[in-house]
Amino acid sequence: MNEEKTKFKNLKDYAEDVYKCTKCGLCQSVCPIYKSTGLETTVSRGKFTLLNGIINGKLKFNKKIAKNLELCLGCKACYDFCPSGISTEEIMAAARHESLKTNKMGFIKGFLLDNFRSNFRLGLLKIGLNIYKFFLFVTLNFIEGLSYFRLLLKSQDGKMLNQVQHDNSSNKFIKYLTLFNSQLRENIKYKKLKPVKPQSELNIVYFPGCINNYVNSSIKNSVLMVLEKNGFKVNIPKNFTCCGIAARSAGDFQSFSELAENNINQIPDNVDYIITDCASCGSVWKFYPDFVSQKLVNKAKLLAQKTINVNKFLAEREIYFPENIKISKKITYHDPCHLKRFQNVFEEPRKILNQIQGIYFKEMKDADVCCGAAGTFCVSQPQISKAISSEKAQNILDTGADIVCTSCAGCKIGLSQGLIEKNSTIPVYHPVELLAELYLKDEK
Amino acid sequence: MSEFNSNINDEIINSLKLILGNQNVLTDYEDRYCYAYDATAIGEALYLPDAVVLPENKEQICQVVKIANENNIPIVPRAAGTNLVGGCIPLKGGIVMHLSKMNKILNIDRNNLICTVQPGVIVGNLQQEVSDLGLFYPPDPASLKVSTIGGSIAQSSGGPRGFKYGTTKDYVLGLEVMLADGTLLKTGGTTVKNVTGYNLTQLFVGSEGTLGIVVEATLKLIPKPEEQQVMLAYFESINQAAEAITGIISAKITPATLDIMDKNTMTTIENFHHVGLPTNMEAVLVLEVDGFKESVAVQTQQIIDICNKFGAKNIRVSQNQQEADELWFARRSAFGAVARLRPNVLTEDAVVPRDKIPEFITKTREIFDRYNLTVCIMGHAGDGNIHPNVSLDLRNKEEAENFEKAAEELFDTAIELGGSLSGEHGIGMLKSGFMRKALDENSIKYMKEIKKLFDPKNILNPGKIFNE
Repeated sequence: MNEEKTKFKNLKDYAEDVYKCTKCGLCQSVCPIYKSTGLETTVSRGKFTLLNGIINGKLKFNKKIAKNLELCLGCKACYDFCPSGISTEEIMAAARHESLKTNKMGFIKGFLLDNFRSNFRLGLLKIGLNIYKFFLFVTLNFIEGLSYFRLLLKSQDGKMLNQVQHDNSSNKFIKYLTLFNSQLRENIKYKKLKPVKPQSELNIVYFPGCINNYVNSSIKNSVLMVLEKNGFKVNIPKNFTCCGIAARSAGDFQSFSELAENNINQIPDNVDYIITDCASCGSVWKFYPDFVSQKLVNKAKLLAQKTINVNKFLAEREIYFPENIKISKKITYHDPCHLKRFQNVFEEPRKILNQIQGIYFKEMKDADVCCGAAGTFCVSQPQISKAISSEKAQNILDTGADIVCTSCAGCKIGLSQGLIEKNSTIPVYHPVELLAELYLKDEK
Repeated sequence: MSEFNSNINDEIINSLKLILGNQNVLTDYEDRYCYAYDATAIGEALYLPDAVVLPENKEQICQVVKIANENNIPIVPRAAGTNLVGGCIPLKGGIVMHLSKMNKILNIDRNNLICTVQPGVIVGNLQQEVSDLGLFYPPDPASLKVSTIGGSIAQSSGGPRGFKYGTTKDYVLGLEVMLADGTLLKTGGTTVKNVTGYNLTQLFVGSEGTLGIVVEATLKLIPKPEEQQVMLAYFESINQAAEAITGIISAKITPATLDIMDKNTMTTIENFHHVGLPTNMEAVLVLEVDGFKESVAVQTQQIIDICNKFGAKNIRVSQNQQEADELWFARRSAFGAVARLRPNVLTEDAVVPRDKIPEFITKTREIFDRYNLTVCIMGHAGDGNIHPNVSLDLRNKEEAENFEKAAEELFDTAIELGGSLSGEHGIGMLKSGFMRKALDENSIKYMKEIKKLFDPKNILNPGKIFNE
């Protein structure tokens, strides 16, 4: 079906970029993986040296190099810092694509990616998750019950009851169950809200992404409510698939291309905006033009320009902030790599948060350093991922924030993972979730 | 895979693994391939180490060094690998010792204004930590965000602030050095004054890893200046800029930084970064003054007057931190801009007496022009330290050969003018052939004697500094 497809870029197409790495080594200062491993082989300079070896024929793709190529978060931090301006992230994807020809993907990663290729498999996954959720709910309530009971025995007046937090438990397993639970719990339920603005004429398509569709639709509910409240009607085509980010990062360009073409085909030509809430989903639309067949290239390019992150869409407009409702909380914000460095959106979410009555915004240290989740990275490299998340969590805790906000489904996992390691219960919100809560309170 | 370049063998590798743990000994071809270089452009040449070790403490370093010494195996210490003269390249194979895991600041003593650090501590991190306490560690090599104290000591690295504050050598009070035989040598101490016997500390500063491995260092700190101000002054000729430099210095002002960039550098920066540098000027001086608020204001005015007197066409003075950052950005992006011109960039390093700067810059340009090479000249004019950055493609044989010839002429010129081979990058493998041009026989003889005394088997970073 992809006969007349534009050829995917391969490593050779990047030969000059790889060669021009001057080996200055400055990438060491920003690479979260290097900070965690201390190994030259894991930083961009080392990877470029290996890739240059491959291009020159001095090295060949093998398991070792495939493993090495895995050790890139695709966070683009080194690109910002690189004197020669080499786009590591793109080159890594191309290198992984080439590497896949000789080295099969790891079993777990392959299994994960396979799921994203079909909505049917994702549907099955959703059913599985629901069954799991049920048992998790039972288990956690049981454990919680136990700890209440234990505390009751300890404290005579029962005052300590308020402080019961199941993740204070020393048991890592329970902590992670809690993590999954917090990821799966639907904080915001959809409710039809009364618009405060006249209906807009804009033709908007909303791309909700897999997490919203199959895991937890809290953010989706919030986006819909916030947009509707402000007079924007959105349309969600039925046959959207996964955006394909995981496939592209892993170098599975064929699958990515199929997903891309499907998603592009779902969108009417007269669309004004494609709104995304997830940083990754949004960034991917900008990659589509390079991966679709010739006849779709122009449409893909057009859609890439029309794709907009919900934060940016809202921040550019006069949206409604109820005057009498306050959220008296200290809030900090984590910049998703795919939003700040891939879409140049970082002021907008801060602008929205700062407009909410009662909020005290406190910037964290290194707000734009990767959270460590990085898609399937947290599954394939759990140790490094956790180390990076832990550092991020420490920076969050240092602000003393009550809530941490971010705009990416993946980052939510990264932040929660780190916070759990640090025994913290700070909730992770998408800015639109806060807005939705605000509106819900407003209508009460 | 059992093709070793040195006396190492599987048995020795096993002992290394016992000492350091499997995860800290790398022997796979691909791993070693990533430790065959530093920031020096050496083209296609490949010097593979036989093993890479990542020690976590002094004891492990001691045991590794003992094994290497017993078996005559070369050992090359390195950390960030930002050396520009091939200092970290394992010329004779053997063991590369990557010190990235020894990166702890052990102590910051605010009462005595000193700190004790492990060799893998990143210079920029140390500066940040002490700055938070109102203290200051001045040496500022361009690579400070990644380069380490161990490397700074090995190369006695400097930076723009060298003019007022000196270089690494001026801040090392005491060292713990692992010698080639695996014994620990403690030099100096924790006091600024110390004349107890020979100054062994300074012997190791700038020794490029050839005499021992620094495993701990005690450094001097100073109080952080209250304020800084950055200025750019543009001139229509290099000579005018040089006269202004002399004018500033003879007026007894000591700016923290007194850097110069030539027309080519400005044009290149402007092409890539659009920071508002004029492209019709021959030279720009980048000046930073610091100190107490009142003093900064006085110095700034004096400098403006002097620059005007010597014909500055325009002077930009930072009004706030953001503008100061912008002006510094213009200076700091120089290397990156040159790096974008062509695939490779070679940063040379030579020193001449301060008053010879105009002549040296003119001659440098003339040399590289003659060899058809693109050169952007920048440097620390205050201390006569000039860095011609040459942009080229080393795959082009003619260009590569021309560069070799031009570099040799460059050093001849520096020496003729009363200068020397390196201000802050060191000799390494790239300039070892020129040592005889810069030093007399006796100096080289005694240096070699010292090397032999500390490292009789020549296992520590062999092939560096001296031609063998």
